[in-house]
Amino acid sequence: MWWSVDLFVVKTMSKRPFLGLFASPATLVAISIVAALLAIFQYSLRAYVPGSLRPGGFTIENFAVLWKPMFRKAFLTTFLLCFWTALLTLLAGFPLAYAMVRSKSSLVRGGILITSLTPMFLGEVIRTYSWMIVLGKQGIINVCLLRLGVISEPISLMFTTTGVVIALVHFTLPIVIIMIAAALSHIDWNLEKAAASLGAGRVRIFFTVTLPLATPGLVAATSTAFSWTFSAFATPQMIGGGKVQTISTLVYQVGFSSFNMPLAASLSLAGLLFTIAVLTLFNVGMRKIEKLGDC
Amino acid sequence: MSSDHQSSENVSARPAVQIDGVTKSFGNTPALEPCWMKIKRGEFLTLLGPSGCGKTTLLNLIAGFLEADNGELFLGEDLVTQVPPHKREIGIVFQNYALFPHKTVAQNVEYGLRTRGVPKEESRARVKEALSLVKLENFADRKPRQMSGGQQQRVALARALVIRPRVLLLDEPFSALDRNLRVSMQIELKEIQTKLGLTTIFVTHDQNEALSMSDRIAVMSRGRVRHVGSPQEIYEHPKDLFVATFVGDTNLFRARIESSEGRTRLDIGGRKVEISSEQKEPRDLPSAVIVAARPEQCSLTSVESPDAIPATVAVVVYQGSYVELYLECEAAVHGRIMMRDVSKSFFHIGDKVGIRLATKGLNIFGSEQEIG
Ligand SMILES: Nc1ncnc2c1ncn2[C@@H]1O[C@H](COP(=O)(O)OP(=O)(O)OP(=O)(O)O)[C@@H](O)[C@H]1O
Ligand SMILES: [Mg+2]
Repeated sequence: MWWSVDLFVVKTMSKRPFLGLFASPATLVAISIVAALLAIFQYSLRAYVPGSLRPGGFTIENFAVLWKPMFRKAFLTTFLLCFWTALLTLLAGFPLAYAMVRSKSSLVRGGILITSLTPMFLGEVIRTYSWMIVLGKQGIINVCLLRLGVISEPISLMFTTTGVVIALVHFTLPIVIIMIAAALSHIDWNLEKAAASLGAGRVRIFFTVTLPLATPGLVAATSTAFSWTFSAFATPQMIGGGKVQTISTLVYQVGFSSFNMPLAASLSLAGLLFTIAVLTLFNVGMRKIEKLGDC
Repeated sequence: MSSDHQSSENVSARPAVQIDGVTKSFGNTPALEPCWMKIKRGEFLTLLGPSGCGKTTLLNLIAGFLEADNGELFLGEDLVTQVPPHKREIGIVFQNYALFPHKTVAQNVEYGLRTRGVPKEESRARVKEALSLVKLENFADRKPRQMSGGQQQRVALARALVIRPRVLLLDEPFSALDRNLRVSMQIELKEIQTKLGLTTIFVTHDQNEALSMSDRIAVMSRGRVRHVGSPQEIYEHPKDLFVATFVGDTNLFRARIESSEGRTRLDIGGRKVEISSEQKEPRDLPSAVIVAARPEQCSLTSVESPDAIPATVAVVVYQGSYVELYLECEAAVHGRIMMRDVSKSFFHIGDKVGIRLATKGLNIFGSEQEIG
């Protein structure tokens, strides 16, 4: 069969050299992911046999169980966590990315790059541990606020949604900064110069040129922040300490504490569909808004 | 900004653009040496020079995107050295068009009217007028990416014109276009510019473009304006060796000046060449000089004639209406000269020929000057 492979390579070489070569690992990965999803899918449709790791026969019972208040609450909590994290990350990340791309001082640019990138190399667990130290009753935040007399009693940040959001924003910020910076750096400077020559001041240029052109990048960054938060496990588990139940912590609990694999599978699947739905709505909505901006 | 302390006569005497000793450095490297220039109303001035000579820098200073280190800049009566770009009322056209990709053609053109708060009705009429000026009335609702390079550049021109700018700045606007399109765009721009009487500063490093379009050309090199003059002056009486070699084809010969009995003669490689006395005063020049002769000032003659400079045919290039000859010549600065043979006599490589220089219109420079 060597000749058919050759023919394939020659055909693709003519337009995009090495495309076939580069695509093959991607295909392998895609196949594994699809296989895993199919496995989860079939698990989610099997009955739970208490005391056994082997699933029972076909049923759609698992999805009905998901309608119970405990699970509905987890969906809501997860959505709110994702929403606030994505929003706050965007608000914090945009100015930083803007400064990183546009600052004339290489010190500012390098400083932002390094401080925003280094947390990426630490991993979620270590970062969450640091946040536990910062957020705790004897943590830096409480100590400072107490000393300054802003508060008279330590505020509880550990085991709260606020605490989890703070840690998740920090967790998501690097990727958001990088994505927004990439989007901003692709905007042609001459566009802003042209706008200025046509009489637009800085604020006007920002809202009529820079922001609309950065929007696709902002949408992508927000979507990424949303799905990162959705899949975060260590942070809600450790900082939430069981008080903040998200879909991922529930999947873990159901699957690995109760060993109800079919329910864990259906919960995972429902979570996946939930994210896809939210992100699709978000993207469609943003496109509508962009269209409005055109006229 | 007010002009009440000036007489009205004085005001109207002001050029459209006046650059008074403006300089600019990036760090320690000077990008623009002190520059003085006056651009008349309705004039088409071209900044011509090799890459990195500071053309864009000067344009950015005029537009206000760069702040001058020293010197002052006037637009009409107004001192604008400290005025930010969006208050300078300048139209700019960039090499890469710089159209807003998220806006339609009409919205692009309308942009400058919106920032000025021009009423909708008037704005619509002016956009239409500007688009018809560049022959794009039917493209109003297209997005820039749906148009060709030439069309995009015409939109950019319309967008800059619609605000009725005090000065139009163009930074190598046609260099991304292919040759034929470039020529037709040049003609179109020149037509529009003349029709509107628009003061225009045009940047190019294409000398043909500069010669064919400009009222005046400013030749720049290494941050310095070398010569400002009409295309004819620049071509026929270049101020220095750089200008002579940068604009048009030039053959350079090493020579010595000999003056006797009121007559000036050049000694080129041992051959004595008579030149007319309309040249620069010989006493202004050192005795060792460089003679710059355009190809059309060189003619072929027999190698035996006493005033002919000896040379050998090295390359023959048939060009249709003429034949381009490259000759090896010891007296030439680069060892080689180029000329056009309209008679298309068939020379062969290795033929010994003589070059005779025109007696009028030769340019003579001191030999220590920079060659472009
Ligand atoms: N922002 C900058 N920082 C540092 N140096 C600069 C900057 N902009 C330009 N220069 C330098 O200033 C000099 C003049 O640059 P400029 O862009 O004006 O050249 P140019 O004549 O427009 O060249 P080209 O024909 O290639 O566009 C160059 O040597 C360039 O390297
Ligand atoms: Mg330039």
